Amino acid sequence: MKITADTFWDLFYKVGSIALFVLLWQLGCLAGILPKTFVASPVTIVETLWQYLNDGSLYKHASVSLLRAFYGFILAALVAIPLGFMLGGWFKNFERVFNPLLVFLGQFNPFALFSVFLLLFGIGEFSKVAMIFWVSIWPILLNATLGVKSVDPSLIKLARSMGMGKPGLLAKIVIPSSAAFLFNGLRMAAGTAFFMLIPAEMMGASRGLGWLIINAQINYQIPKLYAGTAVIVVFGILIDKFFRYLEKITVTWKEAQAI
Amino acid sequence: MTELRLTGEGLAPNRPVPRAVAGDKGFHDRVMGWYGIIAFLLLWQIAPYVGLADGRFIPPLSEVVTDALKLVASGQIFIHAATSAQRVLLGLIAAIAVAIPSAMVLAGWFPRLTKFLNPLLQLLGNVNPFALFPLFILLFGVGELAKFAIIFWSSLFPILNTAISGVRNIDPILIKAARSMGASKAVIFRKVVLPAALPSIFTGLRMGATTAFLFLIAAEMLSASAGMGWLIHNSSMNNYIPRIYVGVVGIALLGMLMILLLNKLEAYFLDFKEEVKLG
Repeated sequence: MKITADTFWDLFYKVGSIALFVLLWQLGCLAGILPKTFVASPVTIVETLWQYLNDGSLYKHASVSLLRAFYGFILAALVAIPLGFMLGGWFKNFERVFNPLLVFLGQFNPFALFSVFLLLFGIGEFSKVAMIFWVSIWPILLNATLGVKSVDPSLIKLARSMGMGKPGLLAKIVIPSSAAFLFNGLRMAAGTAFFMLIPAEMMGASRGLGWLIINAQINYQIPKLYAGTAVIVVFGILIDKFFRYLEKITVTWKEAQAI
Repeated sequence: MTELRLTGEGLAPNRPVPRAVAGDKGFHDRVMGWYGIIAFLLLWQIAPYVGLADGRFIPPLSEVVTDALKLVASGQIFIHAATSAQRVLLGLIAAIAVAIPSAMVLAGWFPRLTKFLNPLLQLLGNVNPFALFPLFILLFGVGELAKFAIIFWSSLFPILNTAISGVRNIDPILIKAARSMGASKAVIFRKVVLPAALPSIFTGLRMGATTAFLFLIAAEMLSASAGMGWLIHNSSMNNYIPRIYVGVVGIALLGMLMILLLNKLEAYFLDFKEEVKLG
């Protein structure tokens, strides 16, 4: 690829500020403006990461964390998508009866509930998964409901007038036309699941990325603390990108319509 | 930035009822929204008695209410609620005071600089504040300052980033039209930029407030001697189960109250926006 002025400016606006930030950070550490006792330099962080990557401990913690987030997320999707479809209009009065209750339940703070989950499920895997389930259910539910509501009624009437039954209606009309909303909800939920995983692991775990950084803090291993934080940031961004990509390759009919 | 929705806020509690439904206003129809809540509360009360749930871990509703009344009578609950509300408001107001003026100045006067800085701001907004918890504690200790810093940081970026995108997404025709009619910079700011960006500013505020509340509870559970988060943490340490549920429901109600206040504030300010349009 030829580097033109355009691609240069494009790149400049995309990563320029981040590069500058990292550079200033490194210089600040070298010059001693940022105290070594609190701030690890980017080079040290990369070195630490490289070391963890090589001895396999990064892989171990990350896989444990991702698996936990995955279980909570899948459970939430299994519950929230059908529920959202029902709220969005499958049954006429369902939403009016249950929406206020769901609004109330949605306000339950996940940390406040963590104490309850600990009581009910103990300190093991299940209470962490329950907490992730609880936070990822809301974005999926909200978006599934909105998605069904946004289906063009004339499409449903058209399909019905041609004798399509309820299952066909769901598969051919409702799901395809609300897919963009569904994906948006799933993407938000996956981000949230990973987000809440970290405190869940901080509160009681012996493995995982959350445990890695809280352990680093307790043992005052500053480079490890920063390295763990960096890994968490990168994973958060990757999860977001993955779901955007998934939507792009799955929801292909939107563009076909435009042509 | 990844939008985070950590609570059910936004499930549209005040969605307008369709006309066809609003027409037949029977008693049954008006109270329909309460059926779900009442059924939930009844289930909570009955479940421990019929053996659906373990009464030691999920005490019946009446026990929870009794304990809540005890806390109200002794006035303790007000101390905790006020402490928590004060912490949230302090952090939130500081975040607003920094984020909104800087968003206006950045996006309004220095569009190129904003375009340059945007990826960094998005990245910083994406940093999980929980991951920074240990760092904040190292830097600020475990006192009020650490809690303030956590709430400030976690609510700063949602507010800042939505306000910037609000200003950046203003229809350029509006600004050009105002300029062609000879409006000065100050007038354009007050009459075009600010009203046009207000809806997204309020979206950011609501996101920021929700996040602030979330982190407050987390911070109070780590270290505090008062506040709703502490109430739950302390009760769970002392194995005083009904009080945990008082805390859980109390926080939910406090959060709902805050969202309600923000919605009222938004309605008030968006009225102002319409007045500008008419005048």
